Amino acid sequence: MNRERFLFELKRSLGRMEESEKREILSDYEEHFRMGLSEGKSEEQIADLLGNPRILGKSYAIDSLLEEPKEGGGVTAASVVRAVFASISLTFFNVIVVLGPFLGLVGVMIGLWATAVALPLSGIAIVLAPVAALIVPSFFSLSTMSPAFLVFAGIGTAAVGVLAVIGMWKLSRLFVRVVAAYVKFNLRIVTRKR
Amino acid sequence: MNIQFKKGVLELCVLVVLCRKDYYGYELVQTISKNVDIAEGTVYPLLRRLTKEGYFTTYIQESAEGPARKYYQITPKGREYQEVLLEEWNRFINGVNSLIRTEDVA
Repeated sequence: MNRERFLFELKRSLGRMEESEKREILSDYEEHFRMGLSEGKSEEQIADLLGNPRILGKSYAIDSLLEEPKEGGGVTAASVVRAVFASISLTFFNVIVVLGPFLGLVGVMIGLWATAVALPLSGIAIVLAPVAALIVPSFFSLSTMSPAFLVFAGIGTAAVGVLAVIGMWKLSRLFVRVVAAYVKFNLRIVTRKR
Repeated sequence: MNIQFKKGVLELCVLVVLCRKDYYGYELVQTISKNVDIAEGTVYPLLRRLTKEGYFTTYIQESAEGPARKYYQITPKGREYQEVLLEEWNRFINGVNSLIRTEDVA
């Protein structure tokens, strides 16, 4: 691979990033080629020693996606998802090491969310049941339970549900942070290899 | 400790070398790759990240024999971080070595 090809591949794999940042990154490698050439190495030799430009580019892209924004906030779920997929495209190895656990955990999160959201909804439904029974008696038989009991049971269920939703919100934020940390860690190991 | 160790090895190399003096990128990469087998290009993303995290600063200096070069200089925060990583590294190496020696005897 010659210099032009290396820089082209590198630039292409930087993904979405400020132009000025891309130029800064490329200039580091341009300087590297300049120095190498002045020592009498060939462009091919230098590129070979530098490693795979696509992997290098991705590692910049992921670093920049996972960077903490300067003011407030943190890493966003969207940027973490993009980072996960960028990291997957690095090597096939990652399909097993990152994608499997990631999809599994996403599945668990979806399940937990569904449960948390269902709780307050069913609470509301329980409260409304006696009302519905008054309107269309033929559809509901509540003879064994008093309406007062149902109202309190419904309020209780809804309250537990709201707590569950709050808990899930906190858990989701933790999940995003942990995934971000894992992708960073994983990437460092992957890019370490030649 | 183990995770910290893996993450830190190349980081530690870069930090240790830059504790001695300021280097420009190419010089730093050559110094490290002379001793440790790495894809040379991986040093640059690391330098960029550590610079963004405030462990290094950079400056441009003209050179006698060619165009200007970008130099990396370690910050006090970088020195502190280097000490922490070095300490962890030494503890790890000592642990491994004492295990190896015990194996030899047994």
